[in-house]
Amino acid sequence: MSTAYPLPSGLSPATVTNTASLIRIVTLALISGAAIASRLFAVINFESIIHEFDPWFNFRATKVLASQGFYEFWNWFDPTAWYPLGRVVGGTIYPGLMATSGVIYNILHALNLPVDIRNICVLLAPGFSALTAWATYMFTKELKDESAGLLAAAFIGIAPGYISRSVAGSYDNEAIAIFLLMFTFYCWIKALKQGSAFFGMLAGVFYFYMVAAWGGYAFITNMIPLHALTLILMGRFTSRLYVGYSSWYAIGTLASMQVPFVGFQPVKTSEHMAALGVFGLLQIIAFAQLVRSHLSSKQFQNLLFVAVIGSGILGSLAIVGLTYKGWIAPWTGRFYSLWDTGYAKKYIPIIASVSEHQPTAWPSFFMDLQLLMFLFPAGVFLCFKQLRDEHVFVIIYAVVGSYFAGVMVRLMLTLTPVVCVSAAVALSTLLDTYIDPVEPLVPEEAAPPASGDDSTTTSASGSKKAKKPAAGPSEPTTAQSTPKPRSRPGIFGLDARLVVIFNAFGMLSFFVFHCTWVTSNAYSSPSVVLASANPDGSQHIIDDFREAYYWLRQNTPETSVVMSWWDYGYQIAGMADRPTLVDNNTWNNTHIATVGKAMSSTEEVAYPILRKHDVDYVLVIFGGLIGYSGDDINKFLWMVRIAQGVWPDEIQEPNYFTPHGEYRVDDQASTTMKNSLMYKMSYYRFAELFGGGQAMDRVRNQAMPKQGPTLDYLDEAFTSENWIVRIFQVKKEDLLGRDLKSANAFSQGKKRKRSKPTTRRRAMV
Amino acid sequence: MLRLTGSLSLVFLTLLSSTHAHHSYSFENTAIVRQVDLAGSLVQVVTTYAVKALEKDAKAYTIALSPNDKEKTSWLEAKVKGQQQALPVRDHGKERTNGYHLLDVELPKPLGLNETLNIVLETIQTHAAKPWPAAASQNDEQSLLFNTDLFVISPYQTLVQRSKLRSPTPRIVEFTEPKDLEAFTLDTPATKSGATITYGPFNNIPPSADENFLAKTQQPVSVQYMYDNPVLEVSSLKRAAEISHWGSNLNIQDEIRLRNGGPELKGHFSRLDHQAQAFYKRPSPHVIPGLSLHLPAGIRNTYFYDIIGNVSTSHLRVAPAPPKSLRSRTPQYSVLDLRPRYPLLGGWNYTFTLGWDSDLSDSAVYDSKTGKYIVKVPVMTLIPGAVVNKAEVTVILPEGATDVDFSLPWPAVSTSSSTVTTYLDTTGRPALTFVYERLTTKHDGDIYVSYKVPFSAHLKKPTAVATAFMGLFVLTLIGRRINLSLHPSKTA
Repeated sequence: MSTAYPLPSGLSPATVTNTASLIRIVTLALISGAAIASRLFAVINFESIIHEFDPWFNFRATKVLASQGFYEFWNWFDPTAWYPLGRVVGGTIYPGLMATSGVIYNILHALNLPVDIRNICVLLAPGFSALTAWATYMFTKELKDESAGLLAAAFIGIAPGYISRSVAGSYDNEAIAIFLLMFTFYCWIKALKQGSAFFGMLAGVFYFYMVAAWGGYAFITNMIPLHALTLILMGRFTSRLYVGYSSWYAIGTLASMQVPFVGFQPVKTSEHMAALGVFGLLQIIAFAQLVRSHLSSKQFQNLLFVAVIGSGILGSLAIVGLTYKGWIAPWTGRFYSLWDTGYAKKYIPIIASVSEHQPTAWPSFFMDLQLLMFLFPAGVFLCFKQLRDEHVFVIIYAVVGSYFAGVMVRLMLTLTPVVCVSAAVALSTLLDTYIDPVEPLVPEEAAPPASGDDSTTTSASGSKKAKKPAAGPSEPTTAQSTPKPRSRPGIFGLDARLVVIFNAFGMLSFFVFHCTWVTSNAYSSPSVVLASANPDGSQHIIDDFREAYYWLRQNTPETSVVMSWWDYGYQIAGMADRPTLVDNNTWNNTHIATVGKAMSSTEEVAYPILRKHDVDYVLVIFGGLIGYSGDDINKFLWMVRIAQGVWPDEIQEPNYFTPHGEYRVDDQASTTMKNSLMYKMSYYRFAELFGGGQAMDRVRNQAMPKQGPTLDYLDEAFTSENWIVRIFQVKKEDLLGRDLKSANAFSQGKKRKRSKPTTRRRAMV
Repeated sequence: MLRLTGSLSLVFLTLLSSTHAHHSYSFENTAIVRQVDLAGSLVQVVTTYAVKALEKDAKAYTIALSPNDKEKTSWLEAKVKGQQQALPVRDHGKERTNGYHLLDVELPKPLGLNETLNIVLETIQTHAAKPWPAAASQNDEQSLLFNTDLFVISPYQTLVQRSKLRSPTPRIVEFTEPKDLEAFTLDTPATKSGATITYGPFNNIPPSADENFLAKTQQPVSVQYMYDNPVLEVSSLKRAAEISHWGSNLNIQDEIRLRNGGPELKGHFSRLDHQAQAFYKRPSPHVIPGLSLHLPAGIRNTYFYDIIGNVSTSHLRVAPAPPKSLRSRTPQYSVLDLRPRYPLLGGWNYTFTLGWDSDLSDSAVYDSKTGKYIVKVPVMTLIPGAVVNKAEVTVILPEGATDVDFSLPWPAVSTSSSTVTTYLDTTGRPALTFVYERLTTKHDGDIYVSYKVPFSAHLKKPTAVATAFMGLFVLTLIGRRINLSLHPSKTA
């Protein structure tokens, strides 16, 4: 046997296995380290802080859990959210995330390690990403082998598509959900392969954890049945499938119904029907198998035909009927928007207004996955080549995941694991082929005439054939033991190997650079704190949000109600600790539309709304001074649209555009726009800041009129350093019973218009 | 300090009989001059008593304070003029029903008949000046009102006395012109020159620590003056000093509640006006944009955060720790430019936490004779011009410290001990907590704590951690060797 490079000899097999397993453990530990470390950019560049919007609520809920215990948390009614409605928090959230942090917190404190709850929350996502890497390793190991597993673990550890939702501080459900997703899938595959009720049960338990942690559990709820159904249709029904699926479904569904927010949904809503249907189908098939073993084949054929058709029709009729009767809830809007991307914009503007619900742009695939994007199809193709049960699973996952990732930006997250797995399979196959030292045997006797012929055939079908023996679960040894001189293709020489391997490593290292760059530049901003650069290049932190929130917290009465657009609800509750009208838990469209209406109406219309809702302060985000583009004026049209959905007679979107259909804020802006509360609050006294000069809105690049808007019903209470957050106090009713506009005019010494009384007098004469 | 512990006042109750003796006029005040330095939260009052003994062997001179003064005074020191040594002051403890309060100053040596001595009483009054008008809008100026009594009271006859009230700026809005003083002076009783208002001189004042005098002759005077600096107030200060011998580290952490004690903000805060003031360099006198604190030299890991995270607006300039030999001569400090998230306008609050690490060797010594460590913990970091309404200083000693002893620079309102359990502690660390009230810039003292740490206590933590890991490994060892499989034949 000739080899391309010398191999060490005289090693006992035990030494090789031990060394390999040690190297695997060390590599996995390093991968975990890298996964955690690459998520710490946010902490190093900024600080240990909770990011963005939803995490602030999760953090607040976790603090309640940690300080008051689980039962208090379970029964927590939060009167400060959705003022004056309040929110039953315990029954309207997925508590898995908070429970996880609570458990960690309590364990650490039992060990006398007084770690701050904030640090636990901040570092939870990086910690779980290390576990995800491990779960992906286990999953891929089932698919191919350990080396593919290590590659997959490394990929998922640093792939930006997953990092985007799991940097330190991004304390959201997805932080732990991806680990649970991968581990549930691993248990499922294991249960399926071994027919093990134990792994089926594990899958059920982790499915329960997933249900408790993330609304995206529906993905598992439908993936596993889909896989099972495909296997049945492929004629691969086995008792292993039956045992695995039944134990997963029974335990998983019963457990998941213990989560209050889920409740009876698993037996009542359409999203869960597939799992139930496949469960029923499996029972029927298992029964049929049993019957077949007792009947002759002819009788059985007839019986099967009738029974399958009959039960299929009955089953679907039953589901349709139940849906029609209302026993099974039809699909929710969020689900429809997965099939029809235009649906949300038409019917539920609230869902469409969230940026992460927008369809994915092509560049973001490259940005989030880079190299993996190209390896992904190759990996899926290799799965087709083997097509064991688990490969079918990966193929289905790849198809479904790709579709969903194309529909919504945020679902890129669910695609990333399968991309990593497939890419690892592809790359590992490539490396297996090219690192394998065994040179193919050259039939020397028929050398001169056959060589040209042989080489052309090898080069033509070389890559295809080369992978075949290498991809098998036990490759080189079996290949060596049965040498078939003519049919074994391979790579000749060291140089051919090195070229490909160097290329592969080059691509991998570019991938690492890309991931690091994307993570540090795109995904590590807390968005509560903004960074800019000083003239000397040092980092300058723009901390307006916290400045204003902390001012609210320290210098306003604890009961003052703050109205803002719903994006900031959780942040105000978390940082300012004040009641809010609406927040990021967008369950009440009318309430949000009310806020939208108040913001987009004139002061006179808005004032009664504000007073009726006991609003003390109105908070707006204004980026015009420093060019912060995520401000309320840019979100304003969504407020108008959402308000228009409820009050189509009073609010009309076209009124906020110029006659030419432009969205402008300068002196050409439409009157409705100029009189809207949002416009007035944003630009109140803005022009004065420029002294005599031309006031510029730096976000919209428009020159503002010299004469800014005036406010009669609100007072400016606080404006942050860079004017990003502006807080206005709602005036109380005038003590003399005048309307505030005339009271204001009086106190400014303006003459009252005498036009109306004079005409009346004239009429009397 | 005037606030004395219960035990001390008990001692003085027994001395009450002797205090009646003072009414026999063992002294005469040939002159009393009171000088009041008007300022924000802290007002310094220096009263000089020129004393003549009317008896032989007079050992103690008695000073009287009005209830008003007594209530406001938070720091008090009596000296002989021109000397550094402070004289021991004993409080009579009980408030007298007739409206004054007596203090005995022990003289350095007994005075002979007709011998004279100048005694200087220096006090710091807190919350003595209140914002007046009580509310001001952002662009308004700040004026404060100071109330006091016209006469310095004394249990002895006074030949001549005057009070000087010195304002920080010459802009004095208003001051009281006292009336009905023909018995004491023929001139105008109050004169203003520059930034100073002088009441007096008043001649031949009878012993004024007397109900009759206080009711009939004493009268209140007040001064309203412009004040160009913000009035700083620390509503509460919680300091925790944690000593670690393993890390050779002293961690000090302050939780501070800062308040602008100036006039309440009338109307609202306008960022535009604030930025305009900054642009034209005419900052409003009652806005606190930030503080500059002097922290010890050679500190590490300084942190400054509030409830919602780091305060990104502050800067620290660390000075290296000077060598020990030079320490007394050149006091060095690190400077922290502390800027709250938002400027503090009148009546606004801001809470924050400030902490740092420093080398334990900078503030601790080991006394090999007694086998004890002695650690010095400053009561507070001075915030210039601020009064600390309530301070709680906790000193957390290493785990297993015994024979704990402490000495305080001045008595605390309350002292308690407790146990704090933190990182990997097994039995917890002994902690001492001292509560103080109304600390001023004069309260710049150190608490000394001495304790023993047996060698075994040092080993507690490594032992605990090692035991825990050992247990973990043993469990894993056992776990790896137990086979729970239902079909042992297959796996074997």
